[in-house]
Amino acid sequence: MNSVPLSAYLVLALILFCIGLYGALTKRNAVIVLISIELMLNAVNINLVAFSKLGTAPSISGQIFTLFTITVAAVEAAVGLAILMSLYNRRKTVNVDEMDQLKH
Amino acid sequence: MMENAWIIPLFPLISFLLLLLLGKRLKESSAYIGIAFTLFSLIFSLLVLGDRFTSPTYKTGAEWLKIGDVRIRAGFEVNQLNALMLVIVSLVSFLVHMYSKGYMQGEKRFSVFYAYLGLFTFAMLGLVISPNLLQLYVFWELVGLGSFLLIGFYFYKEEAKQAAKKAFIMTRIGDVGLFIGMILLFWETGSFEYDAIFKAAHEGNLSEGMITLTAILIFIGAMGKSGQFPLHTWLPDAMEGPTPVSALIHAATMVAAGVYLVASMFPLFSESSTAMLIVAATGAFTAIFAASIGLVQTDIKRVLAYSTVSQLGYMMLALGTAGYVAGVFHLMTHAFFKALLFLAAGSVIHAVHTQNIEEMGGLWKKLRITGPLFLIGTLAISGVPLFSGFFSKDEILVSAWNHGNYFLFLLALIAAFFTAFYMFRLFFLVFAGVPKKEAGNVHESPASMTIPMLVLGVLAIVSGYVNTPWFGTFLGDWLTKGNTYLEHGHGDSPVWIMLAATIVSLAGIILAYLIYSKRTISRDWLGGQGSMLHNILFNKYYADEFYNLSIVRLTGILGVFFSYIDRFIVEGLVSLVTGTVQKLGKMGSRMQTGQVQQYGTIAFFGLAVLLILFALTGGIFE
Amino acid sequence: MSLSGEMIAFIMLSLVAIIGGILLINLTKVVHMVIALVFTFVSVAGLYVLLSAEFLAAVQILIYSGAITIIMLFGIMLTRHNDSNEKTAGLWRKLMLFAGIAGFGLAVYAGIYNLDIPVQETKLHEDNTRQIGMALYSDHIIPFELTSVLLLAALIGAIILAKKDDEEKEGEE
Repeated sequence: MNSVPLSAYLVLALILFCIGLYGALTKRNAVIVLISIELMLNAVNINLVAFSKLGTAPSISGQIFTLFTITVAAVEAAVGLAILMSLYNRRKTVNVDEMDQLKH
Repeated sequence: MMENAWIIPLFPLISFLLLLLLGKRLKESSAYIGIAFTLFSLIFSLLVLGDRFTSPTYKTGAEWLKIGDVRIRAGFEVNQLNALMLVIVSLVSFLVHMYSKGYMQGEKRFSVFYAYLGLFTFAMLGLVISPNLLQLYVFWELVGLGSFLLIGFYFYKEEAKQAAKKAFIMTRIGDVGLFIGMILLFWETGSFEYDAIFKAAHEGNLSEGMITLTAILIFIGAMGKSGQFPLHTWLPDAMEGPTPVSALIHAATMVAAGVYLVASMFPLFSESSTAMLIVAATGAFTAIFAASIGLVQTDIKRVLAYSTVSQLGYMMLALGTAGYVAGVFHLMTHAFFKALLFLAAGSVIHAVHTQNIEEMGGLWKKLRITGPLFLIGTLAISGVPLFSGFFSKDEILVSAWNHGNYFLFLLALIAAFFTAFYMFRLFFLVFAGVPKKEAGNVHESPASMTIPMLVLGVLAIVSGYVNTPWFGTFLGDWLTKGNTYLEHGHGDSPVWIMLAATIVSLAGIILAYLIYSKRTISRDWLGGQGSMLHNILFNKYYADEFYNLSIVRLTGILGVFFSYIDRFIVEGLVSLVTGTVQKLGKMGSRMQTGQVQQYGTIAFFGLAVLLILFALTGGIFE
Repeated sequence: MSLSGEMIAFIMLSLVAIIGGILLINLTKVVHMVIALVFTFVSVAGLYVLLSAEFLAAVQILIYSGAITIIMLFGIMLTRHNDSNEKTAGLWRKLMLFAGIAGFGLAVYAGIYNLDIPVQETKLHEDNTRQIGMALYSDHIIPFELTSVLLLAALIGAIILAKKDDEEKEGEE
């Protein structure tokens, strides 16, 4: 009945993860960096859900785990954005490559 | 008493330390400390010598170092030679201490001078009671240090500075020889102790070549200290030091250390005829070489310095021709009359404030004490009968004759003639004739200076009578008694040698009298000033110039060469290393940009490399 | 291998998700990027449905496509984003990163390519929401409560972060 193999989902998740990683490490705008990180988290979520159905021991726990991940991702987005706003208020920029004060 | 001989060198050491600590406060009274402590040393030395007449050699020591199976001992030894040297050194040192009180009056660094004297005396006394070569070497170097400090006492004078440096370097060249010889002996015999070395040499445990080699190396050390050709040039320059120092160090004691070294290593030397011949030849050559230079020098102290070099050559000649007793005997008498001459010269300089004998003259009437004393010294050194030098020089000539080396004998005889001539040239120029300078301020020296001279004057006359062909060879018998390696050459001493020596010295005196006092023979009789012969002699055979041109220049070129190597190759390597490290550091610090994304990239790249490696080696997933 | 309806759905949804990701990388305007990512999020929700996780699909659309995207858009609006022609990082870093990602992807792909786990019958699709609720309130009750604490902390933290700065700024001015 399941014609879509597990590896297909895993490969898709891998591709999304790589795209997210590339974006997170190259984009200058901090907001885009945050969004790229969300994309990476999504890729991980796909893995979790796929294993929860097609893994060696299928169970609902994979979905519960994904639920927690989504929650934490939302929290992360909120706090990250708050930090970003406060930083913007000080420095008038959201460019990641200008955020290097800790070096000095 | 002999078991307490170790205390003798300690007195001057205490004096040295006390003066270092309290010198600033004591000022001129520091002389009394120095005099008192050397007096103690003298008293103890005399007691030890007295004991040594009746008891056998005393030797003691304790283990100093133990490295594996190697045991190095430290201690002291009182044999005949050591006891005699103790008395000579402490006596001359005591007299010089006394003399300096007058001579150095008003000197700013008065207490420092006495401190240095104490240090030197300590080292010299320590040297003569050392029972082994290593201990001797330690004191040997300390003596060199004391000499360096005292020559350079007037360090604000450029010449004194140079002279001190020169003395130190020249003697060090010799010391290297001594050091190598010492190490070789240790290598071969496993011991620094004289006894063990002599035993090994006597029983044939050392090869013939090794004995010759070590003996020559040790002799090189003696050459440096005793100013033998070709390492003699430092000694005349050392006269830049204060005159009492010249009397103590560069006439009586330190320069005699080389002779002492050869004498105390005599059993080793006597095993090798080659080494003995070298010693004798060097000694004879130095004797005539230095004497010929002494003929034309105009500086009173330099004349005496060359005379010292020449007399030291005599002693070496004696030792080299198996005349152990003759060498030591001459060492003793020379210590007395040469110290006397130097002190008297110091007294003259003190009176007229110049060292140039051409500017002196007619001082006989002004210096009623110094003059006769100087005459006594001159007579003694010239070998005029009844004075001490006559007997010891005779002994040397006999020794050279009996050894069968007639050429060396002839050299010695000519040198004796030269000696008599230049010494009386000196005497007549200084004391006879008319005063050349306004002599109003010429005055006799204070008692503290004349008393030591009187003592030495008496000794310069009587010290010869301890070993004469007429009244018995007491010194010789005593020195060789109980020593298995030495034998007192009781060879017959032909009377004609004594006569020849007398005639030669009298001829020298008469010639000097005719030229410099009566002026019946022109001074320019054998080439005047400016003639080639005069120039060569006056410039000391250009020895200094030769050294400057050859060794010094060569070393300088080598030095420049190596400095370039250092600057370009060594420093290049160093800066290569530092540059690499700096570049790496710069690279590292350039990576610390503060860019989060860059950090992330690098970290992830590392992770990826690890992951790929794992995948390739089948580390995961399998 | 015949193309079943599920397979066709999977391929289409995957394509949309990947295209959304690629657009995120390649678009120049920040707002466009975020919009492009919404496609990805929605198609991921579709994939969840394929994987018998209807409740998660709903949550995905609500939180990702709704909340987070909106927050991000607010973030973009509130900050200066006029530098639309985004300058990217240096060539060296890009090359290194690309090599790293390619290597990483290949290594992981080599691992998962032939992963074959026998498919087991599951009942995840029956009353999915109910099952999740049962699990949440029984086995995972403590993490669930902790999540609420986390959310509260984030709420307060975000407020304080934003507000404190304002006060300081007022003080400065």
